Amino acid sequence: MVVQENMSIQKKLEILSDAAKYDVACTSSGVDRKGKGTGMGNSIAAGICHSFSADGRCISLLKVLFTNECIFDCKYCINRSSNDVVRTSFTPQEICELTMEFYRRNYIEGLFLSSGILVSPNHTMELILQALRLLREVHHFNGYIHCKAIPGADPEIIEMLGWYADRMSVNLELPTAESLKELAPHKSRKNILQPIRQIQLRRESNKNYLGFPDRMSKAKKLITGEEDHDIKEIITNNTSLAPYQKNSLMKRSFVPAGQSTQMIIGATKESDYQIMSVSQALYDNFDLKRVFYSAFMNVNHDNRLPATVEGPPLLREHRLYQADWLLRFYGFNTKELLDEKHPNFNVLLDPKCDWALRHLEQFPVEVNKADYYSLLRVPGIGTNSAQRIVAARKSAVLSFSDLKRMGIVLKRAVYFITCSGAMMYSIKVDENFITRQLLSIKDRLPFGIEHDITYQQLTLFDDAKFLQDEFTNKYTCHELEQKSAMKIANI
Amino acid sequence: MDVKRIFFCDNSIDGIFTAIYLAWSSRYGHANIKLEEMCEQCNYSNMELFSEYIKVDTDFTKAIMVSQTIKKKISEEAYQMVCRVALSDYYGKADLIYRFLILGFHVGEKVLDHLSDEVVGKVYSVNKNVNNEVHHLLGFVRFSEQNQGLLVSAIHPKNNVLSLITPHFADRLPEERFIIYDENRNTAALHMPGKQWILAEVGELDINKFKEFSTEEDEYRDLWKIFFEHIAIKERINPKLQCNNLPLRFRGYMTEFSIKNE
Repeated sequence: MVVQENMSIQKKLEILSDAAKYDVACTSSGVDRKGKGTGMGNSIAAGICHSFSADGRCISLLKVLFTNECIFDCKYCINRSSNDVVRTSFTPQEICELTMEFYRRNYIEGLFLSSGILVSPNHTMELILQALRLLREVHHFNGYIHCKAIPGADPEIIEMLGWYADRMSVNLELPTAESLKELAPHKSRKNILQPIRQIQLRRESNKNYLGFPDRMSKAKKLITGEEDHDIKEIITNNTSLAPYQKNSLMKRSFVPAGQSTQMIIGATKESDYQIMSVSQALYDNFDLKRVFYSAFMNVNHDNRLPATVEGPPLLREHRLYQADWLLRFYGFNTKELLDEKHPNFNVLLDPKCDWALRHLEQFPVEVNKADYYSLLRVPGIGTNSAQRIVAARKSAVLSFSDLKRMGIVLKRAVYFITCSGAMMYSIKVDENFITRQLLSIKDRLPFGIEHDITYQQLTLFDDAKFLQDEFTNKYTCHELEQKSAMKIANI
Repeated sequence: MDVKRIFFCDNSIDGIFTAIYLAWSSRYGHANIKLEEMCEQCNYSNMELFSEYIKVDTDFTKAIMVSQTIKKKISEEAYQMVCRVALSDYYGKADLIYRFLILGFHVGEKVLDHLSDEVVGKVYSVNKNVNNEVHHLLGFVRFSEQNQGLLVSAIHPKNNVLSLITPHFADRLPEERFIIYDENRNTAALHMPGKQWILAEVGELDINKFKEFSTEEDEYRDLWKIFFEHIAIKERINPKLQCNNLPLRFRGYMTEFSIKNE
């Protein structure tokens, strides 16, 4: 391992931001905090993006590793101990200077501090804690801080960090315990879930202490991860709070912006159904704010892992995020979207369209009468549109032209709604017909995904040649028409 | 047919509110009244025929009365929306606000639910446009440090958002002296530690005067550029997505897109 002493701060920043770029959770949202009148910093619940890097991702926080030295050897990670890369570490002072000076110039919204594991999880966490303390207590930094909790560290240190950070995250890394064992032999799923549970419990007790009992935590929780033994065990065990008591002078609440986690997608063989079930269990049982999905890239060119020559599976990542939104804001459940028979998302249609086409008996929905949650289930109607409809129909009976004027996009919704009992055009509520119509709408994918190899199937699919080459063995053209286009897409 | 009366007012919240006061109290009938704000798109060269132009002199007492009435008869939220519309670059905003208030004073706070109404819908969309630009700028403003620790930033927003973004920075940087200069309107927001920030007409401010960077400034600019470059994942490079999220018009004054200093 090459460890260079006396490296310039420029070089360090180069190496340690390069090493941190695969972390996906660069958000600064979740906490509203006014400035204190002294020191520096405030925080806005919606989060603020300060720039967008060449890959189009938001830059909100100074996202760096404390060190890229690591004693672990996770196969997918660029910083694994068996890789021959230049290693370096920041000092807590350097982290503080960078954060303060960047923040003053409005380059960033705060700090995102992750780290490789130097010596031991505890040792690394202590270094991170030092940096955070320095920022908060010496520099009076009042902006956003997101830091990683390293699995395997003592609960006391995690507890202390939580009083300084706004958001904490523990990376789940891979959806199932088996994959984790295979690719990250030094990590165990229980070690990962334990700190998540610890942070969740402290957050709840702190909220109660402050007199803001969480509505969500009061409700009797459904254990959705029944079949997931690790989750079940962690949830049902009576974990006690870590004994650390906070300094009464510290006027901060515990991890006020909540916690998030991330999973690598496409490195192992899990289906979308398995992944979404894990997400659902995490949201339901651990009160997570976000689960992030990171399309796998074989950065180490390790031949034990899938090759990603055609680029990372961006479309799959996109579909998972779409479904993730459906879980969090649209009242959907993983079991509605996928099941053992359809374990993966449709390549050609977004998860909501896909669901709606399989549940045509629930449509069309009457815009002037349907409740908020039924409106939310209409493809093309999102939370904003649904709220607008609910507000606007108090004072008027809505027609299609009203909807258009209110900025509601009808190109998908038109097949699923009626206004005063009539649809916009005479539309046959028929799976094949609507599927064909929806497929002709160009799916609004984030720019760039159209180059993703999986998406190419859409253009091939429209091509008659594709049908002949691929399907003449199985179906005649006539039979093909009988089958719904959807099912073909699922093959 | 009655002669149309056009109230011609200053392009400011107070100017528009004064015109609303005068137009309302004139009792000419709403249908015969039009409000027009003075701006680039509208100058004396395209005046309407067969109408009487009434020049409105901004009167702060009248403007305050209008704003109080809006808060009382409609709501605080509606008042804020109206103010943002008045700060927008939407041509015809004075008349839009007038039409909005006719409905608003009639139905009260419920007016914000009348989304299917054309006027209310337009108020919402203009309001959203202003809010979006404000939110963008909260992130995209870049300060550079001058010799004595003064932070300077220049912006050229479409809407007149200076008064909407400055409170955020005053709250965030209470111990800093900073200037945010709107190059399009020659106005600047000034902040001193421990004092209220102020908005000033600065005439032709020579922004080049503010190029005496402190010794550390160049170092941090370079560090930021290094970070910016290295945080991108090269397998996912996507200029279209970047452009969609960060439109080119903002990049002119952003450190990370400036050409490397010699």
